[in-house]
Amino acid sequence: MRLHKWLAMLVPIALLASACSTTTTSGTKKLTIAAVQGVEDAGLKALWPMYTAKTGVQIDIVEAPYADLYSKLVNAFKANDATYDLIMMDDPWMPKFGTDGSLSDLGALGITKDPDIAQVVWDVGTWPPPRGPVPPSEKSKPQQLLGVTIVGNVEMFMYRSDLTPTAPATYDDVLNNAKAQNKPPVAGYLVRGKATNPVTADFLPILWSFGGDVFDDNWNVVFDNDKSKAAIKFLVEDLKGVAQSDPGSSDAADRDRLMAIGQGYQSSVWPGEIAGAVLDPKVTQVAGKVAFIPIPKGPSGKGVGMMGNWLLGVPKASKNQQAAADFIKWMLQADTQKTYAQNAGIPSRTSILNDPELGKANVYFPVLAQALQAPPNWRPRTDQWNAVETIIGTHLNAALTGQETADDVATKASAEIRTLMKGAGYPTQ
Amino acid sequence: MTVIARTRSNWAARSRQERLALRLLLPVFGTVVVIATVPFLLALVDATTNDAGNFVGPANFVRALSNPLLYESIKQTGLYAAIVLPSEILIGLGLSLLVHRTVRSPVLRAVIYVAAMIPIVIPQIAVGVVFRLVFAPDYGILNILLGSTGRGQILWLSSPPLAMLATATVDIWQWTPFVYLVLFAGFQTVPSEAVEAAQVDGATSWTQFRHIELPYLRPLLLLVLFFRIADVLRVFDAVYVLTGGGPGTTTQFLSLYMYRVGFKFSDLGEASALAVVVMVAMTIFYTLINRFIPADRR
Repeated sequence: MRLHKWLAMLVPIALLASACSTTTTSGTKKLTIAAVQGVEDAGLKALWPMYTAKTGVQIDIVEAPYADLYSKLVNAFKANDATYDLIMMDDPWMPKFGTDGSLSDLGALGITKDPDIAQVVWDVGTWPPPRGPVPPSEKSKPQQLLGVTIVGNVEMFMYRSDLTPTAPATYDDVLNNAKAQNKPPVAGYLVRGKATNPVTADFLPILWSFGGDVFDDNWNVVFDNDKSKAAIKFLVEDLKGVAQSDPGSSDAADRDRLMAIGQGYQSSVWPGEIAGAVLDPKVTQVAGKVAFIPIPKGPSGKGVGMMGNWLLGVPKASKNQQAAADFIKWMLQADTQKTYAQNAGIPSRTSILNDPELGKANVYFPVLAQALQAPPNWRPRTDQWNAVETIIGTHLNAALTGQETADDVATKASAEIRTLMKGAGYPTQ
Repeated sequence: MTVIARTRSNWAARSRQERLALRLLLPVFGTVVVIATVPFLLALVDATTNDAGNFVGPANFVRALSNPLLYESIKQTGLYAAIVLPSEILIGLGLSLLVHRTVRSPVLRAVIYVAAMIPIVIPQIAVGVVFRLVFAPDYGILNILLGSTGRGQILWLSSPPLAMLATATVDIWQWTPFVYLVLFAGFQTVPSEAVEAAQVDGATSWTQFRHIELPYLRPLLLLVLFFRIADVLRVFDAVYVLTGGGPGTTTQFLSLYMYRVGFKFSDLGEASALAVVVMVAMTIFYTLINRFIPADRR
């Protein structure tokens, strides 16, 4: 009798468990993707029904805002949680996940490099990094492909071509044009100055174009050298002087809104922002009046864009490794990328970015292809980057809101970064 | 063995009613253990180990407590609490008293009830997004309204004192209705006989409130205070969206600071140590409040 009771309880539980399981002997039935909420996963959401129709594999996209997604992934990896089969990650997160050994080698799962995709796109998903300084703890590790770009984000520059038909070639031109066009309510330059990540992300192309940097090749902090100081001063004094009224609280959405209502003349811009801010005539007053160019040249003689690619990776804890890799392979196919681009996705294939038909609807695609070939810089490949970015972004924001000077930013941020990096075992001076 | 034997004899010594009561409480204890005690113990483990899982003693606590940014964030949190807690409680109390005394129609009371629920059920992140639009300098509704009176742009989110005030205003907007709802429910528990007797004796409105209604509200005021202090310590989403902790570190409250340590600086050991310190400090604080407020006033 007692045995019957136990069986009566256990049989439904076993049935329920098998129904909920994502894997059966016949293969994977469902893939769960952790994705960032926003324009970045719009293409992914548009594509998955096609994959399900083709393969029968259900795709469950679990979205989270930027900061939430990062903390969710950190917690999931720490707990070796198998919930996610694929994860979307911003490229500066890769060093952290690579150092922690949280991701599977996609090369071993059959993903091979395709020459139609810019080399930098493969490099940014490779850990340890194939160029630039390598963290001391990672030097002995073999290089592995841990992520593949699905949003080919490279920071570019936009300006109102209806007001000044000639594109600014240098940051001197940017400042001169800004002074000439700064007629309230139109701001000569839109600064994205909100604390931490936003202001740092938009400052780095200026820093690099001025010949400055955060680290040299040996992880020494150079954020307080003359070139870096000149770049900081350019942002918090020169550009601030011709910016919108409240640069210190402005994020990308604020910049887009100001651009869309005709109150901004120029700014740096991420591809993901462009459709809403300047292309869609339903939401913008400046459709057809804005041109896109790579980042203008600074005193270093170079204009250096920055990558902000979103990658897909497979957590080591996933029970559906091969199926997850198969999904990535499908995402990279030329025909899939074309459909992806037609559905608000930002592709990384050169042939798709240079497709004249797609370029009509997405005027920035050829510039993006050019920017990817340049190649753009990536943020320093260290698992400490989030902390470094927070330090820089806090001080830059303090300067933009009048609490610190440009020199304070260089001195204080550099001192804090040195302490941080030494504490993390880097040979930083 | 002795302990087990002693426990068994203690269990046997209890009356049947006591044993039943303990059995009935078991699911509650189990829930508390799962949702509070286990995470606390896990945080304690994280706080006393390094990334490799090795025991490091109090090192994480020492690092956490020696960072000057911690004390800055505590100061900012204290300032924030000093603005929002009295404002929410006084406005909530005033509103509940006003509705209790002046609104007799059950339909109108229901309408006010529903209206008060709206801010509470909106996710904080959405509240942050909406209020960013309200406070925006060039196209925000607040500056447009001020502009129509001839005033210039006010930088609500990037001037340090105003950013604190702006984030506090959002909290007050969202959580005053909660205080209102709880205290309004409290007013309904005041026996009408006592109020009527006071009115017959010629008690003024203030006397009636001070000596009859307020004593009934005291336990609820304490409850509201407990909840709101806990919420102030956890405030995150709306502030993160509004200011990101800026300008500088002006609105980097304790929760944002802990997020910064745990997820920006990837130091889960230090973040866990901070969480344990906050948990212990709040437990002591709540115990002291309970101890020093006489039982008849709770």
